[in-house]
Amino acid sequence: MKRPALVFALLLLPALCLSSDDSAFVARQRRLLEVLSREPLSLPAIAGRLAVDSDRAAAIAAFDSMGRDRNLSGPFHGYALMAVYLRFRSLFPDSIHRLVRDVFRFRGLYRGDTENHWVMYYTGMYLAAQTWPNEPGTAWFNGKSSEENFREAEGWLNHWITLTSTTGQGEFDSPTYMPVFLAPMCVLYDFAADSVMKTRARMMCDLVLADFAVEDLQGNYGGGHSRDYPADIINPLIAQTTRVAWLYFGQPGRMIWDDPQFQPRVRASWEIVFPALSGYRVPAMIAQMATDRSVPYVQRKRKRVRNIIRFGEELNPPVYTYTYMTSDFVLGSLQGGILQPFQQHTWDVTFVSKRPYNTIFTVHPSYSKRELGMFFPEELNVMVQGVDLAKGTYSSPDKWNSSSPYEQTFQYKNAIIVLYNIAPGAHYPHIDGFFPGNLDDRTVDSAGWIFCRSGETAVAFYPVRPYAWIREGENWRFRSPHLKTGVVVEVASVRGNGEYEEFMRRMRVRAVDTSGFSLNPGVTYTTLAGDVMKFRYDGPRILNGKVVDIAKTPLYDGPMMTGEPGIITLHYGGHTRTLDFREVRIIER
Amino acid sequence: MNILRPVCAFALLPVLLHVSHGVSPAQPENLYLTILTSFRAAQKPTGDPASGLFTSSDGGLTWEHLGWRETIRTFYAEAGSDGTLWNACGNGVLRSTDNGAHWKVTTGWEVTEVLKVKPSPSLPSLVFASTAYGVFRSTDRGESWELKRAGMRRPFSGDVCIDRTDARRVIAATEEGVYLSENSGESWRQTGLPGRGVRVVVQDPVDASRFWIGTEEDGVFCTTDGGRGWSRRTPAAFHAAVYAIALHPRRRNWISIGTYGDGVLLSTDAGGHWEERNGGLSDLHVHALIVLPSNPDVLLAGTLNRGLFRSTDAGVRWQSCFQDSSQVWGLSAR
Repeated sequence: MKRPALVFALLLLPALCLSSDDSAFVARQRRLLEVLSREPLSLPAIAGRLAVDSDRAAAIAAFDSMGRDRNLSGPFHGYALMAVYLRFRSLFPDSIHRLVRDVFRFRGLYRGDTENHWVMYYTGMYLAAQTWPNEPGTAWFNGKSSEENFREAEGWLNHWITLTSTTGQGEFDSPTYMPVFLAPMCVLYDFAADSVMKTRARMMCDLVLADFAVEDLQGNYGGGHSRDYPADIINPLIAQTTRVAWLYFGQPGRMIWDDPQFQPRVRASWEIVFPALSGYRVPAMIAQMATDRSVPYVQRKRKRVRNIIRFGEELNPPVYTYTYMTSDFVLGSLQGGILQPFQQHTWDVTFVSKRPYNTIFTVHPSYSKRELGMFFPEELNVMVQGVDLAKGTYSSPDKWNSSSPYEQTFQYKNAIIVLYNIAPGAHYPHIDGFFPGNLDDRTVDSAGWIFCRSGETAVAFYPVRPYAWIREGENWRFRSPHLKTGVVVEVASVRGNGEYEEFMRRMRVRAVDTSGFSLNPGVTYTTLAGDVMKFRYDGPRILNGKVVDIAKTPLYDGPMMTGEPGIITLHYGGHTRTLDFREVRIIER
Repeated sequence: MNILRPVCAFALLPVLLHVSHGVSPAQPENLYLTILTSFRAAQKPTGDPASGLFTSSDGGLTWEHLGWRETIRTFYAEAGSDGTLWNACGNGVLRSTDNGAHWKVTTGWEVTEVLKVKPSPSLPSLVFASTAYGVFRSTDRGESWELKRAGMRRPFSGDVCIDRTDARRVIAATEEGVYLSENSGESWRQTGLPGRGVRVVVQDPVDASRFWIGTEEDGVFCTTDGGRGWSRRTPAAFHAAVYAIALHPRRRNWISIGTYGDGVLLSTDAGGHWEERNGGLSDLHVHALIVLPSNPDVLLAGTLNRGLFRSTDAGVRWQSCFQDSSQVWGLSAR
């Protein structure tokens, strides 16, 4: 006879030790596992089934089958295999124990070619080497002994943790890939025998979640992103991080992906199961950081460009992110330029809405073999074709994600200037803007502004150069076919029609100075609050007459998260939690 | 550490035995083919995988898979004069001392995206690896590796060649020109093509003082003084990327090149004149090319879209011979 409740309680023993405040988390955790247990069998789904003891025999049989599938040899598989195995090994027959051991004995596991791959791969190798110590190189697929594998994995993980906590994260702020940094850290926290590594993993869980929390608006990952997919960019709540927000922060207030409008792009990607099963618990203050939007704030961060292997002077140039958060909308940006190959999302305003497609942004759909050559070692001549095959839209003139060498931004609070200076002959000689088709209002004003309203968010969007509208399925596409072009955007909260009318009235009379634009794109704009923003392409960002030196952006700078290299402090309600990566300790005050 | 010390009479013995090339002309060679990507479906539990390392001992007529069956992005493989097999992969530098039955990843987490691995023909313990992160060197058969890029402005290196007559002389192809080291990689100086992408470098099997390089968009260059000076050997208007260079083992001045878009070109006068050799070659994007030392009429061309082609008449006619929906990255013979 099956006893799901009992098994669930045993497997989630840490959850039972929590205070009453955690009961909502435990309820979500259980709900997620129940849903997952009905999903098609994958390694995460197997974990879900075993956790709730749903058809254990089928789950074990599927695990056995996957253990034999040689196609499961990529960086996503090793750590997931170890995570399921270590958590449920008491349920497995001897044949499974041998099978999992043999995966690491005979299967050529691919390390991958990017940061999230390496974090997953080395987490898997660390735990495997720890699980089967003192074995010679002949007992491992890569010919290295248990000791060699352990030291190599430990070396990479420590390197990555140090790099991330001092210089900033690569593949930063990604609505798709954030969970595959969080999940291996949860697994490492659960199973690393070494107390120092365990503490480091816990600190990284805190860091990754806090980093997300300060840009999370009810499940929407605000700000610019290093890596995002077109479907997620135009419909932010379908991103994988929405599941993270729901599990840890309780927002959005329902399992939104059950709604057909918010189906994740890759529904089968359930890495969130490993955090859900983990003994790691998010500190209450991080959840509060994610949900308290009572006071608008600016969060600045310093991040890191993916490894530049060609055509660059620096391996990891800095990325400066700027995010303005309110209870109604989040306006965020990166400084522009090529900061990540082909999946970059430089800026947007995303607003709270019950409807999908709750975002507005512009993009220059750039592509070049040189851009890919900066980050990938294959031949320049074949990479565009290769990325098109793998990702689908890289060379499309209509794509919604792109890094462009011809795009620069200057944001101050709720206003942003975005300039484009596209080289003649570059792909493509236009910029596009995404406007949802379901806005409450989209008015093209005779003063040159485009006014939009969705719920309690009002957006004023000023195109510097002529443009056209293209009606598409779920949206309007704004297209400005000019090499030198740009937009000015200011966003505000409005309560009711009256405030929206007032917002439009005040915006209509605002002057946008674009003198000299045709020679070198530049704008001077005075915001509703009276701040004067002046920005010319390749020139300084000037606010109220003073140059804003974005190069001085700290690792973290905001009311709830500050940081200098190696020491990052979370702030909420008069309390602080300091992640001291130098001394590997957490200090709470 | 003085890595030149082992270059003693004993170590030079292989040089004396292998007169002008890594393969004695009369002996059938082992061939090594690397396939980076297959456009076929994922591998099945049985049968040869579609990508990775393959070997042939019958002049390229038949091939069998060697080494890891899983995809680890295998860029290039080569056998050393001591029989050690070296494999350049996404996972690092792999080494096998038992003809591919077992492999060890000799590099650590610091070494990734290895594009070429080249053992010294005269000193098998000396091995260089060209990677996206720079040139690495091992002086102990891969037991340890060191990044060696002193004097190089940019790290990316697509190929490296160790002089078979003097292991101190090493030439590296980089994203910004060709570099020469005369102290086994301890330091480098740029000797040609500043700011230009260099993709491949080979030593002439007939004249050891000559090295040839293929470039991203500037054609073929040659040095006749061991890498100090370089002269163009293709017309100035020739801009196809040259990914592969194959030299006739006995006929001086016979050079074939594999290009992106122009297929295979042959010159019999050291680059004075070139002719296309593309009959039957249905993919003109050639990334790998070798002349069989044991039978120089046989050429193999690895293409980026349609697998491996074989010619038995020095490239006049080609026939598809293996993995016709694959991206061939490397070919070597020993």
